[in-house]
Amino acid sequence: MSTASGRATPRGLAEKVRSIRAGQRAAIARAITELENGLPSAAALSAALESFAGRAQVVGVTGPPGAGKSTLVDALVRECVSRGRRVAVVAIDPSSPITGGAVLGDRIRMGAAGSDDAVFIRSLASRGHAGGLARPVRRIVDLLDAAGFDEIVVETVGAGQSDVDIASLADASLVLCPPGLGDDVQAIKAGILEIADLLVVSKGDLPQAERAERDLKDMLHLRAPCEGWRTRVLRTSATTGEGIAALADALDTHRAEVGAGRRHARGASPAHADPQAELRGFGERDPWQQHTAIRFVEGGPGRATMSMRVGREHLNFNGKCHGGAIFSLADSAFGLASNSHGVVAVGIDTHATFELAVGEGDLLVARAIETSRSARIAVYRVDVTREDGSRVSSFTGTVYRTRRRHDGGAPEGAA
Amino acid sequence: MNKPLPDPVPATAEEALVRWEAEYAAQIGGESPVHNRSGIAIKPLYTPLDVDPSRFDGEVGFPGQPPYTRGIYATMHRGRTWTQRQLIGLGTPAAYNARLRDILDQGASAVSLIPCNSVFRGYDMDEVDAELLGTCGVVANSADHMATCLEGVDLATTSCAMNDPSPFTLLAFMLAAAKRRGVDPRSLSGTSNQSDCLSHYVANHMFFRLALPGARRLLVDHIAWCGEHLPRWNPLSVVGQHMQQAGATPAEALGFTLASALQYADDCVAAGMSPDAFLPRFTFFFDISISFFEEVAKFRAGRRLWARLVRERYGARDPRSWRFKFHGQTSGVDLTRQQPLNNIARVTAQAIAGIFGGLQSLHTDAYDEALSCPTQFGARIAVATQNILREEAHLTDVIDPLGGSWYVEALTDAMEAKVLDVMAEVEAAGGMYAAVESGLVQRRIGESARRFQERIDRGEQTLVGVNAYQVPEEPDSRSALAKPDPGEMRAHLASFAAWKAARSAQSVGRALDALARDANDARANLYARVVEAAEAGCTHGEICGTLRRELGFGHPLVVV
Amino acid sequence: MDTPPKILITKIGLDGHDRGSRIVAAHLRDVGMEVVYTPPWQEIPAVVKLAVEEDVDVIGVSSLATDHLIVPKLMAALREAGVGDVAVIVGGIVPDEDEKALIDAGVARVFHPGAPLGEISSYVAAAAARVRAARFPT
Repeated sequence: MSTASGRATPRGLAEKVRSIRAGQRAAIARAITELENGLPSAAALSAALESFAGRAQVVGVTGPPGAGKSTLVDALVRECVSRGRRVAVVAIDPSSPITGGAVLGDRIRMGAAGSDDAVFIRSLASRGHAGGLARPVRRIVDLLDAAGFDEIVVETVGAGQSDVDIASLADASLVLCPPGLGDDVQAIKAGILEIADLLVVSKGDLPQAERAERDLKDMLHLRAPCEGWRTRVLRTSATTGEGIAALADALDTHRAEVGAGRRHARGASPAHADPQAELRGFGERDPWQQHTAIRFVEGGPGRATMSMRVGREHLNFNGKCHGGAIFSLADSAFGLASNSHGVVAVGIDTHATFELAVGEGDLLVARAIETSRSARIAVYRVDVTREDGSRVSSFTGTVYRTRRRHDGGAPEGAA
Repeated sequence: MNKPLPDPVPATAEEALVRWEAEYAAQIGGESPVHNRSGIAIKPLYTPLDVDPSRFDGEVGFPGQPPYTRGIYATMHRGRTWTQRQLIGLGTPAAYNARLRDILDQGASAVSLIPCNSVFRGYDMDEVDAELLGTCGVVANSADHMATCLEGVDLATTSCAMNDPSPFTLLAFMLAAAKRRGVDPRSLSGTSNQSDCLSHYVANHMFFRLALPGARRLLVDHIAWCGEHLPRWNPLSVVGQHMQQAGATPAEALGFTLASALQYADDCVAAGMSPDAFLPRFTFFFDISISFFEEVAKFRAGRRLWARLVRERYGARDPRSWRFKFHGQTSGVDLTRQQPLNNIARVTAQAIAGIFGGLQSLHTDAYDEALSCPTQFGARIAVATQNILREEAHLTDVIDPLGGSWYVEALTDAMEAKVLDVMAEVEAAGGMYAAVESGLVQRRIGESARRFQERIDRGEQTLVGVNAYQVPEEPDSRSALAKPDPGEMRAHLASFAAWKAARSAQSVGRALDALARDANDARANLYARVVEAAEAGCTHGEICGTLRRELGFGHPLVVV
Repeated sequence: MDTPPKILITKIGLDGHDRGSRIVAAHLRDVGMEVVYTPPWQEIPAVVKLAVEEDVDVIGVSSLATDHLIVPKLMAALREAGVGDVAVIVGGIVPDEDEKALIDAGVARVFHPGAPLGEISSYVAAAAARVRAARFPT
């Protein structure tokens, strides 16, 4: 750490900031890598750039997979460029929860806009933040803001928590509702409509689009008009280009009325509200999990998934994976799942079977789910499987839920 | 003596089978199950118990009689062997013509013209990187170029396949060239190869001249126009080859191909054509892999399925509509860069599978295709391979010589079932256009391609010289890429520029305007305008460019 | 560095056969890499812009039908854009004499048909690590 921060000399940092502020593409891209990978130099860089941020309008784009997010972003970006703006796009694709790999295809689906000099596109893999926005996204947005882009479009994976997280980052949240997803807009997940500043019926050339637009308007009508910005419904067609200019107009209006840089005004960072991040943090602070190479994959209230690649150090004298290692994996998933409600939970009883011998190189995944939970006692089932799906171990565990909270907050009111 | 020896001759066939099963199990030890590429489990032995003799009449039958399992003609290869159609294309039109005449002199009986990739992409030669011109096909951009390509070829007697996706400009250029020579268009025979826009969309993206809906409409117009003006021309070749080369299993390739054919036929019916007017001009084009029996069974199953489908779905009454005519090409994916001469053996095995499968036309790959575009030396061996198989090996003495094999009949049935599963999945997705637009077909093919590659990487599928039996090789033992002569290509570019400057801008402009107008008029036959534009001196790039503007530029679906 | 390598898998030129590039892209993903995948026919300037913005460590160019002949142009364009340090590999049908020309032009490695996926990914991982180490010295 000290050597790394030593490398980031004030002069080097200043030069870097200057290049970024001058909009040098390669410098911006390299700096994003630093932030994305959390390199030791990232914190200083972020700090140096922060004061320059706050000018760009950040537009969050979310909606279910297949809604046409990339196509819409492509059309919107081209429209903004034709209005003389410089636009940056951050496109987030899901990482595989098992291998961590990802195919980043959004920028390609975006097509024409990507080759424009006024446009900068960066693809990010969600890296395990399947539900929420990866933490560096906010820093990356700040960087692009400091680099002088007028609009920064953040396109989410389109599933889970990221849909809601985006609202805390974006100035204007744009939720896509493709027609024909279900009978009516109830199909759009609860909670999403609430965050939308603009509801966009994409694929507006489809016959069901008109009805979808009407339904959304009716639904908004039922909701009490909140003060300030009133959510608008627009219909667009990326194929015909219809509605794209109106969408850009609406974003301009939003900017004029609500302003830009809202994320800096808010206190809460999304990581706090993100159970995923909290569970990941537990794993990272757990010396035994680090020692045994047990990795956090995914988790949420009442559940957790962990993985472990069987290495030499996990083997027993027979050359097979040691039962203790398998137990550790299952126990880790059990531990995180049971501590996922904000309350400190301690294990009081476990049982495990061993059903299949596994060897070096096998990837094991443990999925813990809550089978029952009362105020003080909760029970979990953990299935450990190998990559091919065959079951390695079945595990059950019971915890006692203490009165302490992980955030050190007031003790839970006991029943 | 610990135990008595078994009776050397079992009393009954059942006893014999039981004894064989026991002996097999005892001697083979722990055997992992054997599957063919399509995923069908293959038993070690087939017996009469594996086939139902009562199905002979309905499902196997006789050559030339529905359901054509044993062949679509009564005489099959004993009456007329397959058309020896070699796919060639390299360099300038003049270089192509020289190569073509050489191949015809060697015994090839039909032409198959493969254009430069710039042509495939819908561009003229002055629109692309000059380094790439003519490296994979002939640079033909106009009627004049086509006239040079086909010089000295008797168009009335030589079947010409044009590897020419929508909007089929190469055929239009050929028609213009024929007209100048005074050849009656009604005498022209051949095939619009690669007219299957779906297979391109799915598998190799070689066109993307036009967005899929535009290509779809042009294909129907093309089929209608050819039906009216070119009675001996096959306007549609439904291509399983692309998909199998891209990684589809043989069963998937056949299933997707039949599903495509049904989609096109549905479109033609919707456009008001009578099934018996267009179905006789539908042809198929398949890959022949080295999975020998599987390929034979694929083709037998394909014939049977097609004969049934067109009768059940369209009520086709003309037997010519029922016949599943196909061209086979030996699979390039099976060829290896290592020890390239081994590919001659591979191509031979593949070709025999195609011949036993009852093909109508055959292209054998040159052994050096895994190294580069084939050299003339390689192309000659490919032609000789066919000559040897046809005239030395006595393969054609008997029609469907594998018919009646318990294995082959059982495998034909199993392939048919597998293919029907594939087709049902496409049907459930809303037909082939919907299935490819949603990426379903691409995903299936991608998954199969990876599974196959992983089998090779794990050593479960032997590839001689690649994962087994490697020998040290000097780089020099591999032949070099035959590149077009740069001087000739420069001269070709220069004369193209001069010719473009000299032609009548007015007639070109008029023809392109008419093309643009009718592109927006769904009632017009757009292909008629393409033919007129070719005759008026429009270039390939101009025709494709105009249609792209009006009908949309094609982009592939990204599916990984 | 424990973050996944970032790889661009692309095709330049005129050919559209993408079986190989898709298999390789999917394989690299499955061994934990982050892969930017493009369809065929990318223009060289677009590939360069993409490589710069995505800050990729390795570019894999698939070529089955002579498109490798314009890879030297790509190499020059990458150098001009200041990303000459990215490792470029070419996979597909490349005759030996052309392979020499590609290596001379700065291509790190050519993979021929039959190259096992594991060999490709090991090479890519090592090349990416080298590029990263040079870009972000510790």
